[in-house]
Amino acid sequence: MSPMVKILPGGTAIEARRGETLSDALEAAGFHLSLYCGRRGLCGKCFVEIVRGPIPEPTDAERALLQRRKLPHRFRLACGYRIEADTVLRLPPESMLPEMPVFTRGIIRSVGLAPAVKKFSYVLSEPGLNSPPALLDLAKERFPEARLPESVEALRRMAAEARLPDHPDREVTAVLYNDRFLLAVEKGDTTGRNYGLAVDLGTTTVVVEIVDLNTGVVIGTEAGINGQAKFGADVISRIAAAYGDPERTGAALRTAVVDGLNQLIEALYQRTGIRPDSVYEAVIAGNTAMNHLFLGLPVDTLAVAPFYAAFSILPAVPAEDTGLRVNPRGRVYIAPNIKSYVGGDISAGLSAIDLEHRSGNFVFIDLGTNGEIVLKKAGKMVATSTAAGPAFEGMTISRGMLALPGAIYRANLKDGSWVVRTIAAAPARGICGTGLIDIVALSLKHGRITPRGHILDPDKKIIIGDGLFLDQKDIREIQLAAAAVKTGIRMLLAGRGMAVADLDGVFVAGAFGNYLNIRNATAIGLLPRIDPAKIFFVGNASLAGARALLLNLRERIRCERLAGRIAHVSLAMGEDFQKTFIEALNFEAWS
Amino acid sequence: MDNRNEILALMAEAVVEGNRDKAVSLARRALAERLDLHLVIENGYVAGIQKVGELWEKGEYFLPELMASAEAMKAAMTLLRPSLESSQAELSSKGKVVIGTIEGDIHDIGKNLVASMLSANGFDVIDLGADVKLGIFIERAVAAKADFICLSALLTTTMLNQRRLIAMLNDRGLRDRFKVLVGGAPVTRQWASDIGADGYGENALAAVKAAKELIARGAKP
Repeated sequence: MSPMVKILPGGTAIEARRGETLSDALEAAGFHLSLYCGRRGLCGKCFVEIVRGPIPEPTDAERALLQRRKLPHRFRLACGYRIEADTVLRLPPESMLPEMPVFTRGIIRSVGLAPAVKKFSYVLSEPGLNSPPALLDLAKERFPEARLPESVEALRRMAAEARLPDHPDREVTAVLYNDRFLLAVEKGDTTGRNYGLAVDLGTTTVVVEIVDLNTGVVIGTEAGINGQAKFGADVISRIAAAYGDPERTGAALRTAVVDGLNQLIEALYQRTGIRPDSVYEAVIAGNTAMNHLFLGLPVDTLAVAPFYAAFSILPAVPAEDTGLRVNPRGRVYIAPNIKSYVGGDISAGLSAIDLEHRSGNFVFIDLGTNGEIVLKKAGKMVATSTAAGPAFEGMTISRGMLALPGAIYRANLKDGSWVVRTIAAAPARGICGTGLIDIVALSLKHGRITPRGHILDPDKKIIIGDGLFLDQKDIREIQLAAAAVKTGIRMLLAGRGMAVADLDGVFVAGAFGNYLNIRNATAIGLLPRIDPAKIFFVGNASLAGARALLLNLRERIRCERLAGRIAHVSLAMGEDFQKTFIEALNFEAWS
Repeated sequence: MDNRNEILALMAEAVVEGNRDKAVSLARRALAERLDLHLVIENGYVAGIQKVGELWEKGEYFLPELMASAEAMKAAMTLLRPSLESSQAELSSKGKVVIGTIEGDIHDIGKNLVASMLSANGFDVIDLGADVKLGIFIERAVAAKADFICLSALLTTTMLNQRRLIAMLNDRGLRDRFKVLVGGAPVTRQWASDIGADGYGENALAAVKAAKELIARGAKP
């Protein structure tokens, strides 16, 4: 007869196979334990209390961990405990795999805490006089499957840190990557200090988060302008700057973006007191061109048709080669590029909302400097990028600006005059994307502009306030940007024989966040006409995705598999592109 | 007389409205009533397209209107041209244009607009499409004895091929045979002069204007 395991609290009873480990039985029953060290009995995170049933003698490692965690004798590691008879056990909450919410607003998605970088503290064995083992062999004694670094500098550091005379208690901390690579050995117990960076590497803006990899908690966030801005506002101008000259300009662009990131990272260190040495990994979610330029890879193939990337999926690269201000022995992981201009920012975004596992038909729109669109129908995904340009980020608009303090993000027309809201309630000094959409939609509704975008006022200006206005050229820029997005959605839908009515939801990611007024965005045709309850604002999905990939190694594997499967279409090659685009230029709701 | 002026006004109106059917049916009527086609074109349809240009300049018209007007004009011209006396046809052609989006670039809405507007304004237009290899541009222009080569590029990267094409013309000793016009979103007047192009159009109407100016300067024909 199979032994039964009763799980407290809750009292769920499960059937187990004799000799099966408790961790396997619990996993199979849907109880996710924190199996940080991969069931190797090293980390002591999966202790359970054996309330009734056999309690075998603890192993030496178990005994040491029990002592260290000050746990009573009836606690055992679930990964080492073999079920031989009926058992009653209690699961302490701290032994469960922590689930971290990926979004602070919008839709709910969480990932388990299973980072690539793990730290283990232990006591180095004493080398005997006879045939003493090598220091680094001692250091990796507990991780026989792990490989030493191939970097000589890392080996020097490792041997120096592990040198026994320097710390007589011989306690060290091993830093493992993906359970397979020994990145470093640190003096003493540093397991409490394990941090990672999640980076949204946008063409215009860059956001960096520092995350505690022991808890999944975001400790701090910094945002700034991409240091490459001086080379041009859009992706193409950056590519053009590096085109044909990767040695010089390519290097300059790389330096610009890395320096910009390092400034933000430095600010995070200052603010949080975290030291760069404690950061062994950064995950970067950027578009294809940004990923290439960040690594200093040539972008020539992205510059001309058929616009293809140099890489899609990369292994995590040595941090010291990237110039990022983290532990040089750490790694930098780039979220996989999908195809052409649809890059890691989108694959990360899709991970963040877990589009793969949502059943139904969905459109995912990321409104950044490029507007990328992904359509999911019947389990298959197809992606495209549109040349929306940076208008919605306030660039190319006379009084446009990013969503920074003082930007008008919401506008209303009351009794003929504009009532606006600004970010941080600061004095209005410009208009950001959501404000532009409000102003255009309401000007349209109140007959100040025609659906063709013609301003009717004789001065050809829509005056919002002191020195703040939209002129005819601004309206044209907004028409072009909105039409690019609208065309993209339309053509993807048409390509799969779908109508808007077939959609179960539309995810809107990007800087617009919650501020986008659905009614107004629909009135000008930017978003398809659909039940507002089916529109989900997910904010900076790329950043949330980078965090998900940082927190959970399995998410990366899934993300890579997904990125390889998504089909790509080039809009401009579509037969109806011109017709669709020209028609989309008018401000009108979808018919 | 009044009747004829009324028809001419309607023709202009059809173009301004971008009403293709109306433009075509008026052209049929002109043929049926044996009106002076030269007058019909110049004072009817061309007058219309000029008005469209004014509306564009004023910001009232945008790409969809421009496209519709050019299409209406083109449809009428296609109908009228075979019936023009050969001398008149010669007269009515402002010049022969070989146009295309340059090698490496697949964006051709802007190029199509320029082609339509040139055609609407009486140019003989050979549209080579998008991603046109540099060698093909030259071969076709030579074969057609073109007056103009018009190069569109929508990306700062593919724009560089405009320079390469001019260099190729120089290398082959063909530079003097053609007037080269360049355009596209990233193209500027400065760029055009840097690479030694003969003209530049910020938009479709400006391109037409530039081509006409080159003719007026006695370039050809």
